[in-house]
Amino acid sequence: MTDNEAILRCQDGDRDAFRHLVEQYKDVLFGTAVLMTGNRAIAEEQVQEALLSAWRGIRGFRRGSPVKPWLLRILVNAVLAQQRRRTIEAVRFNDNGPEERDYGNHDPAETLDALENRIALRRAIAELSPDHRQVVALRYFAGLTVPEVARTLGVREGTVKSRLHRALAILRHQLEESALETPTPSGSSSAGLEGG
Amino acid sequence: MAYNDSPDNEFDQEMERILQEHFNAEDSGLRAPSDPWPWLESRLEEPAAPSFFSRLLGMMNPMREGRLSPAFAVAGVAVVAVAVAATIWAISGDSGPEGLAVVQETEVPANASPSTVGIGATSIPRSMEVTRIVAEEVEVEEEQAPVATEVPAAMAMSEPTHIPAPAATTAPAAPAATEAPAMAMLEDSESTPYPAPAATTAPAPTATAAQATSAPEAQGAMAMAQTAAGPRGPTGAAGPQGKGVGGTPPDTTFRDYGRQPFVAASEDNVSTFSLDTDRTSYYLALNWARNGYEVDPDSVRAEEWINAFDYRYPPASGKQDFAVITGFLPHPLEDGKLLAQIAFQAPELVDDTRLNVTLVLDASGSMADGNRVDIARQAAESIRQSLRPEDRIAVVHFTDDVIDHYTVAHRSPDEPRVKNSINLLAPHGSTNVQAGLNLGVSMADHARDLRPDARNYVILMSDGVANVDATNPFAILETAYDTDARNPLRLITIGVGINNYNDVLLEQLAQHGNGWYRYLDSAAQAQATFSRENWLALSTPFADQARAQVTWDAEVVERWRIIGYENRVTPDETFTQDRKEFAEIYSGAATTVFYELELTDLAQSLLVFPLERIELRWVDPNTGESRSWPGESVFAVAGWGGSPTPVPPLDQLGAIVALAADRYGSLSANAGVEDYQAVQRDLSTLLEQLRSLRGDLGNLDAYNDFLFLLDNITGHVEERLPPPTPSGYSR
Repeated sequence: MTDNEAILRCQDGDRDAFRHLVEQYKDVLFGTAVLMTGNRAIAEEQVQEALLSAWRGIRGFRRGSPVKPWLLRILVNAVLAQQRRRTIEAVRFNDNGPEERDYGNHDPAETLDALENRIALRRAIAELSPDHRQVVALRYFAGLTVPEVARTLGVREGTVKSRLHRALAILRHQLEESALETPTPSGSSSAGLEGG
Repeated sequence: MAYNDSPDNEFDQEMERILQEHFNAEDSGLRAPSDPWPWLESRLEEPAAPSFFSRLLGMMNPMREGRLSPAFAVAGVAVVAVAVAATIWAISGDSGPEGLAVVQETEVPANASPSTVGIGATSIPRSMEVTRIVAEEVEVEEEQAPVATEVPAAMAMSEPTHIPAPAATTAPAAPAATEAPAMAMLEDSESTPYPAPAATTAPAPTATAAQATSAPEAQGAMAMAQTAAGPRGPTGAAGPQGKGVGGTPPDTTFRDYGRQPFVAASEDNVSTFSLDTDRTSYYLALNWARNGYEVDPDSVRAEEWINAFDYRYPPASGKQDFAVITGFLPHPLEDGKLLAQIAFQAPELVDDTRLNVTLVLDASGSMADGNRVDIARQAAESIRQSLRPEDRIAVVHFTDDVIDHYTVAHRSPDEPRVKNSINLLAPHGSTNVQAGLNLGVSMADHARDLRPDARNYVILMSDGVANVDATNPFAILETAYDTDARNPLRLITIGVGINNYNDVLLEQLAQHGNGWYRYLDSAAQAQATFSRENWLALSTPFADQARAQVTWDAEVVERWRIIGYENRVTPDETFTQDRKEFAEIYSGAATTVFYELELTDLAQSLLVFPLERIELRWVDPNTGESRSWPGESVFAVAGWGGSPTPVPPLDQLGAIVALAADRYGSLSANAGVEDYQAVQRDLSTLLEQLRSLRGDLGNLDAYNDFLFLLDNITGHVEERLPPPTPSGYSR
């Protein structure tokens, strides 16, 4: 079933078709939400809400449009709305605790160096500003094009490009910095998510 | 994964590669840990489920012709004495960054021109000064602390962050057309690749959906109770489907009223308009933007955007007086022009009457969803706590029928049975709102008989989502309510839960029940909404048929233009006529209007001159009497020396809101590239100015919401432009 067929069937109320879409996109939605929120529990909630909104709005879906950016846009809006409501401090992305244990897949074959690098980069991403983290997640994790990212966020393409460029520069800088010190697997950075 | 629009920069390319590998390696950590399907599946049916209101409708008696009671049981007799503001401003070339007029704050001797009509300036800590004038007497009353910077700091900044309720919590109620999901899609698929998520069937305010549905959060003494008021909205709502920049939500009908043009004061120097405290258009836009819609320019009514914000005007001096506040500020977009800000502040409620409150609580199974019961319980408990010992409260629970053993007849709010009953609210069974409401109304009726001097409120809380095409099904309420037109039962309806954007019938029940409707999505909001000052202010009209007339001095004003109020502007001659279509204004509500002005050469050379004359008329809802205030001149002081006081950030925000709404709303379906370019320039400029206020206002939800909205609509306009020029780094 192609996305378009699934959409058509969803619009007729076919839940199996919607389930098909959910199967297909839940991971990209969840991963994006984790990258944006830094909290798996919140990410799960937001993905659920976004999918529910998508179902309720499915009749308004314009046939032939790409599904993934549409879903991501609903997700991003849900996350942003949720973040505005949460004036309390953001939950740290990579805290010591359960989050840390179940976040990565620690391939036994992975060298210690590689693991350290990965954790350093994970931390660097977590420490990006929300604007930068969003574009990085949408562009490089979710795989949207720059125009798609722009529309998902409601900003112009130039803004996306400049944010990406700056985010990449920051990440590179952070990685260089962390190469100088010795990163610890716990990634116990004191910087909160909202930093920057 | 290949990024075919990768940057040229090789460092960036390298970093992209690293990220790509990183995300591949992180794969399982970023994969959904559980299947969302079971959770989802249990909720997919919700929107389609018939609400209990459809059943209510089925049970309702045929309508009876009848008139809603215009009588408002509000204590107090209005005394006409209106405060007028004299604002001092300086237009010396060096007085502001734009070389434009800047408000002067110091003790300007406005009465230094004794030949003019008496006016006294007192230092209201804003960009404006308020004076109070009694009849023709020249009388000056100090009303505020004279130091400009102290009071606003205390009032504006030490407050909690919210001004109006965040729009995520608003559900502008829709008129009848709720089901047919006719999508208003643009031809241009390039520009609108995103379908509108139709789920929430974003509602269109019409004449029947007058109530802005977001409760203002209580703000202590500054609680601003602005609500929708009066006859308003595009009455010709049967217009074409929403058009505009695209991605418009379904089921929306708006009418483009065009824009008010600049008018040469030499030809017409009189501006007449109905006051307005509706805010629906703003919250609609915010909701749409958040849900991924493009905001339909036709839906933008600048006055509703402007009035969505709390500018913290000084309170009206008397309990029965409007305060009229004026200020001037540099035009944010155009050199050589000026903005005039005129505000009408209704006094806060006189809270001197006993209350009879009847809570009707939906305990049906659907209330188990999410935190609905918690919200309803919190709202009920907040109401209980807002009451005084001399007030009375009753509680009715209903599911498929009234739950008798939970129901508590009217008694003092402090009695344990009341609190226990509220605590016992829990979801079970099905829904029969008629049973609940019938019992509630008859209990309230009885309480009214026992205490004829009390104000009477029936408050219905429910998660009802209305899907029914209702026209006027609520005569049953009317018959129940109008047995005593001088002391009506007012029906307040509260929708709870998430994603119920379609509560037409709750809204209509309230409207036909002489009450108001709010949508609550959190316990905190419930608490704020039902602080005593807030909910009583919302429930108590101060003035009906309120309208104002501003007369510009053609010697001084070359051309003028009102921002927004397109469907509020009325022929000048109607000013003296009491008309139903003029707005109802609630206690504590403020209406703000902005004018764009071009001054004459003469104005540049004068020191003190009358700029405008403001006149106000309204009907006292208690007595039905027409009130008027003959108007007084507002003086401007040019070239005032010394260092000008900056325009308060909230007023700057107001100006930006006004112009952003005005410019964006000017985009019609036929707008060409040049129109978009012009609007894009203006919006970008406004966006920059808005950002510069972050330091002052960044702690306000309202500021952050509007920043999001302006950024959003600016982005949509930019998308319409030919290849966008690459910008530099972000912010």
